[in-house]
Amino acid sequence: MSNRLSLRELEKKAWLRTFEHGLWDIGIGSMFLTFGLSILADFAAFAGIWIVVLMPALRESGRRLVIPRIGHVQFRERRKRAKGRLTGVLTGTTVMGVLFFAFFMWLFRGDTPVWAQWIANHFVIFIGLIWGGALVITGKLVNFPRLYGYGVLVFGSLIITDSFAGYHLGISLSLVGGLILLIGIALLLRFMRRYPRHEAPSLGARDE
Amino acid sequence: MSEKLNQEYTIDRVIHEPARLMITAYLYVVESADYVFLMQNTGLTWGNLSSHLSKLEDAGYVEITKEFMEKKPHTMAQLTEVGRKAFDGYRRQMKALFEDLPEA
Repeated sequence: MSNRLSLRELEKKAWLRTFEHGLWDIGIGSMFLTFGLSILADFAAFAGIWIVVLMPALRESGRRLVIPRIGHVQFRERRKRAKGRLTGVLTGTTVMGVLFFAFFMWLFRGDTPVWAQWIANHFVIFIGLIWGGALVITGKLVNFPRLYGYGVLVFGSLIITDSFAGYHLGISLSLVGGLILLIGIALLLRFMRRYPRHEAPSLGARDE
Repeated sequence: MSEKLNQEYTIDRVIHEPARLMITAYLYVVESADYVFLMQNTGLTWGNLSSHLSKLEDAGYVEITKEFMEKKPHTMAQLTEVGRKAFDGYRRQMKALFEDLPEA
């Protein structure tokens, strides 16, 4: 590591430290895992567990596990804007999903052209493109390189799913989700070992 | 006494001290940060950090805000506009000082 004091490097180091805890990875992994399991169990409501249980649990974990260890920091406008653009990515992904759903509804009406049938037969690739693309764009926006890898992993696994008949989408998503979840848990354990809790006294206590 | 040395004497000594330089640098690149963040990133102990932040606060460079988060005291530090300008000035001075050094 360079000993040169570089403000850009200081800022980047502080920013990347906020991703070391693995909670993002746990969130993304559990999302794909619950999607996969809901497909395998043929029980769509199962995916709702992620929103109802896991999302609040992760937010709470962030407050209880992360902030006492690495502290609380507010970044400057440039980083805030990047986080704001995330909403755009999520909205874009949702719109793409709705469009895809509408497209399938149109297909079910029958009398569709050959190209549309081809897309329908390979819909898994398009799901992979949407999810993988969303992860890569998010990684780029928040300067979080691990997301590139996850994007490629999701897209690659869905290409494999499409290539091998009988290889179930649910299995594919569960495996990818499980792998990302395990990486997240490993990162969280490393984070907790690396950064002990700081039960800091108040500043006022020093003066008294 | 050389001109360079005279220039050095005008350096802001509140910022120039290594620990305070690190604190100011971190507060310069973020909007605000709490004590734990500053301790983790500067490697200072709680007592040292408090003492240096007090000096920065006395100079009007840092604003300390105390609040309660989940019934626990939580202290945030933020560079003031004066502090930001002082750090900018310090950067310019140091850059000018070292760039003017003759080739070895």
